[in-house]
Amino acid sequence: MKHANPTEFEGPRPAGTLRTAAIVIYATLVLLAVSIPQSVVNWLTDMNGNPVEKTALRGAEVVRNLSQRAGVAAVYQRARDIFIAISGVEPD
Amino acid sequence: MLFPTIGFAVFFAVVFPVTWLLNAHNTWKKVFLVAASYYFYAAWRPEFTLLLLVSSVFNYCAAFAIDHFKYRAQRLTVLWLAVAANLGLLGYFKYYNFFAASLMNAFGAIGVKVDIGFIEVALPIAISFLTFHALSYIIDVYRRVIKPTTSLVDIMFYIGFFPHLIAGPIVRANKFLAQTTGPRDPANIRLGQSVFLILGGLFKKVIVANYLSTGFVDGVFRDPTANSSLDLIFGMYGYALEIYCDFSAYTDIAIGIANLLGYEFPQNFNYPYRAVSVQDFWRRWHMSLSSWLRDYLYIPLGGSKFGTWATYRNIMITMALGGLWHGASWAFLIWGSLHGAALVIERMLGITGDHGDAKRGRLATAIGWVVTTQFVCLAWVFFRAPSTDAWLGYFATMFRGRSWSTSVTPFVAFIFALGALSHILPPRWFVTLEKRYDEAPLAVKVLVPFVVIYLISVAAPAGIAPFIYFQF
Repeated sequence: MKHANPTEFEGPRPAGTLRTAAIVIYATLVLLAVSIPQSVVNWLTDMNGNPVEKTALRGAEVVRNLSQRAGVAAVYQRARDIFIAISGVEPD
Repeated sequence: MLFPTIGFAVFFAVVFPVTWLLNAHNTWKKVFLVAASYYFYAAWRPEFTLLLLVSSVFNYCAAFAIDHFKYRAQRLTVLWLAVAANLGLLGYFKYYNFFAASLMNAFGAIGVKVDIGFIEVALPIAISFLTFHALSYIIDVYRRVIKPTTSLVDIMFYIGFFPHLIAGPIVRANKFLAQTTGPRDPANIRLGQSVFLILGGLFKKVIVANYLSTGFVDGVFRDPTANSSLDLIFGMYGYALEIYCDFSAYTDIAIGIANLLGYEFPQNFNYPYRAVSVQDFWRRWHMSLSSWLRDYLYIPLGGSKFGTWATYRNIMITMALGGLWHGASWAFLIWGSLHGAALVIERMLGITGDHGDAKRGRLATAIGWVVTTQFVCLAWVFFRAPSTDAWLGYFATMFRGRSWSTSVTPFVAFIFALGALSHILPPRWFVTLEKRYDEAPLAVKVLVPFVVIYLISVAAPAGIAPFIYFQF
């Protein structure tokens, strides 16, 4: 793996890096939340359940239901099943 | 709060925009990042945030006291008191029980019964790292490398900044405080490098380190005498890969996250298992610790200024204490001392080279790599074995040649290969990849992290173990 060496990078950096970084971070998180929605629901279910978390959980459940209806969530489960079958690791 | 979790992703999704929104208001930004860092630390044990606060306030005041005095002897006296207080705190939490047990055992061996008792207190996570950060600050002030900062927030920020707080890299006070004086320039974000450091770190931790640990290494070290010699050999190499992938993953992610927030951390690893001498290894492994030990311990001890034997003594003291820094046990002391002894032997033999040493031929370099790698991997057994009996049993069984069967599954062998790739793939490939990423359209920039994290999630084990260096 490549290791960080701040002195290594040379050349001009593109303008608008902050905007690009923000788009990359949030778009990645949204795509992950939509494609693996059950993990967000599980994470919020394990929390204490204050009003904010309860609202977030309801939102996550809506996203999960939409993802399931569109068949996106099933792709992840199928991929996970294939990985478990090939690798022989313990199922969840 | 572990890096590869949803909790951290949500935490960072809040910290990132607020940090940059407050960028023009530098003090408020630092106050916010201190609050975020204390929240991050409180996720383990909220009461230990008090320790962070006390350490910051104490060292803030100590730096002023050191700087106040004109004469070196006075400054040195205050420095010693401050160092003693910092090490006293570390000693109380981390080493008291170890020294108490060692003392009672020593007296017991000569027939004298001494009972000084043990303390029952949880070890604050990352106390060794925060102590070294604090020491870096007051020693730099003593050396007049930096002036004491008038802002307590700056010291709280330096000691507590969440990316390096738990397991480094150890950031020097003068390097970090210079970054806190004004707003950070967003143009300094190296997106490609940060993204690949974070993705590489996630892969090394979640896939390689976790599967090596749970799938093979933990079992081998749990009861070494129940394993075949071949499995113990694989276990030794497996742990070498595991600890590298685990620890370098943490610091890679930390460096990437800090850069996304506009801050620079030092490089901490540089292909350590490519080292061709033990000295070369320490230039590549946990570089921020080895340079800290060199600058704040080895050189103050006299370094190599007072003759051959004094140099050897200083190396041994530095490495033994460096070993003990990792944990309160004889195994860590032995591990550090072994590295110290190896460094001394290399000096005796005149071996100080690295890959760029023109005086060494290819064969000598190859032999150096083989010997160094075997030594480093053998020494890791002391580091990983939970007790003296465990490492004695490990070596006894391994060298006895008991059975050459193996329980390594094809999947574990595949993970071994993935771990080895971390040292085989040429660095220039990653540089090219980062450059291509920086030049790619926005859609590709989003798809790359999404696809990589998605695939890591597909292959991830059910739970993520804490990073090994958290215990230090």
